[in-house]
Amino acid sequence: MKRVILLCLALLLVQGTAFAADSIKIGLMGPITGPWASEGAEMKQVVQLLAEELNQKGGLLGKKVEVVTQDDGGDPRTAALAAQRLATQGVVAVIGTYGSAVTEATQNIYGEAKIIQIANGSTAIRLSEKGLKYFFRTCPRDDEQAKVAAQAIQKMGSKRIAILHDNSTYAKGLADETRGLLEAAKAGEIVFFDALTPKEQDYTTVLTKMKSVQPDIVFFTGYYGEAGLLLKQAKQMNWKVTFMGGDATNNPDIVKTAGKDAAAGFYFVSAPLPKDLPSDEARNFLDTFKKKYGNPPNSIYAALAGDGFRVITQAIAETKSTDPAKLADYLHKDLKDFPGLTGKISFNEKGDRVGEVYRVYRVNDEGQFILQP
Amino acid sequence: MNRRQLIPLAVAAPLAVLPLFLNAYWIDVLNSIGIYAMLGLSLNLIVGHAGLFNLGHAAFYAVGAYTAAIVNTTFGIPVLLLLPVCGLAAGLFALAVARPIIHLRGDYLCIVTIGVGEIVRIALVNNLFGITGGSNGIFGIARPSIFDLTLRTPLHFYYLIWIFVALTVFVFHLLEYSRFGRALNYLREDDVAAEGSGVNTAHYKLMAFVVGAGWAGMVGNIYAAKMTIISPESFTFWESVLMFAIVILGGSGSMPGVLLGAFLIVGLPELFREFANARMLVFGAAMIAMMVFRTQGLIPSRPRIYRIPAVEKGEGRA
Repeated sequence: MKRVILLCLALLLVQGTAFAADSIKIGLMGPITGPWASEGAEMKQVVQLLAEELNQKGGLLGKKVEVVTQDDGGDPRTAALAAQRLATQGVVAVIGTYGSAVTEATQNIYGEAKIIQIANGSTAIRLSEKGLKYFFRTCPRDDEQAKVAAQAIQKMGSKRIAILHDNSTYAKGLADETRGLLEAAKAGEIVFFDALTPKEQDYTTVLTKMKSVQPDIVFFTGYYGEAGLLLKQAKQMNWKVTFMGGDATNNPDIVKTAGKDAAAGFYFVSAPLPKDLPSDEARNFLDTFKKKYGNPPNSIYAALAGDGFRVITQAIAETKSTDPAKLADYLHKDLKDFPGLTGKISFNEKGDRVGEVYRVYRVNDEGQFILQP
Repeated sequence: MNRRQLIPLAVAAPLAVLPLFLNAYWIDVLNSIGIYAMLGLSLNLIVGHAGLFNLGHAAFYAVGAYTAAIVNTTFGIPVLLLLPVCGLAAGLFALAVARPIIHLRGDYLCIVTIGVGEIVRIALVNNLFGITGGSNGIFGIARPSIFDLTLRTPLHFYYLIWIFVALTVFVFHLLEYSRFGRALNYLREDDVAAEGSGVNTAHYKLMAFVVGAGWAGMVGNIYAAKMTIISPESFTFWESVLMFAIVILGGSGSMPGVLLGAFLIVGLPELFREFANARMLVFGAAMIAMMVFRTQGLIPSRPRIYRIPAVEKGEGRA
């Protein structure tokens, strides 16, 4: 009997949700539960705050904007269900989600339902190589990072370059891509290219091997744990060489592992931290966010979700329509240098964001991450 | 045909016409339920019938799914043709892992199976032999087709999955009432007595493991075909726990119970979507409530009744 009551209650709640009579619905698909729940929670906060602001200014085309959030659980199977759910809820566009595999599981569902999808944390190259008309992303692709890394290495005037990865798909991809770009640019010589074994404690062997070929710079594409140890052990060997890392080394723990001494002078490539977001829009937004939730957003991917919301509402306002084909056309062709939270936004014909999002950071003597001009 | 035999028909008929009244989302929820129902039924053979605690069932499911994905993307063999291959791969894998550990009892076996599940998942993340695609998974699995029909929409998969569920129910029903099924029940209740009566317990336990795992492998194939992309996130420890919960909650060893368990465990979180952040909390509370009120499962397995032909006068006396 109790079970029956419970079930009835649940059904009532499902039925009872009020449907706003006349509104433009924007979907938000994010990992509200699961391993990446902190990302999802922040994505939701950012998008809802932006929607509230927009509604206070009068909404879109005279209608209120309603954000419909669905949980993808950080898992492709749940994401496919969330996507089906959103597709039946009459949303014009969907923002999200975090994780390339999770996004991929939903691409076809949105594509077939003719719903615009603007991913915020899915950097795998292949997602936009399928010729999907309604797929966009505000985050950069993995090959973009290699480009910025290669440029930074050239700018530092390094002639002898060592590249070290850890054999993971992401790190090896970044290492391969960067090597290709450097070779094509004929900037210096790649004197070392190899992998280390992640999760070990002692990397002096690989450091000694690298030291023997005398590089000016070591570019490590793996994660922050190994990077911290590399820095610490290079310092113990008294080897003064410039280290640079990929965006997987962007974590305060690297300073803890290496110690402030050894970490000082370490460069890494990363999307800007929320505190360093470039535009006035971003600064205003960060202020309101802090006022409302008590702390600034931690994750750049939440800000990128906010940008997804801003570009799609801009597109609706400009085209005065919610027709997905018109909106996609507008985003592909007419949206140029839109002032987003994370910098200027334009999309190319594949739906990828044009322009450089990645920045170069340097760790200072206090162990803080300082944005390099 | 007696009343009990009509029950499957009474369940199957509404399920066959149900999609006509539902939108794509609810059909897809039913697809998910179907997949977990099959996984639950395959695990039920191991946990419910043989009484072997297996908390690593997702590993066999993963082996099946990855076999389908790898063979399909490298050799272009249609994914549904690979069903037996996936079953075989998962079964052989189960045989290899279970052979040395099958004599472990209860919680010890449970711990080892958790380990196996994690080993498989981590191996997949680390791009084993360079073929599993690491944490990005494998993408671009060809959509399955039956004759000229390419399965694409949730509706197509609904019929594929639920026909397969019906087949699963049929096969496991036969198994349950076979000599094999009786032997499993015997050793679950008392494996010393079973051994003493000439039941080769190690062999039967191993076979239960292999058959259950092999079936999970085939479900993995269907999952891969449906998603067209698989990644290690789909085969975490949590998945094993879900399957285990389906079996225990529904009623260990009872087929209707497992089916109902799948409906509740997979269906309720979808029903609770409106609670957003709290949906897993509500789901957990509902599960606890059910376990408190029905410790033996929602539909516990019934003792079997065998009719003995009437005893003639003068017979049956010692």
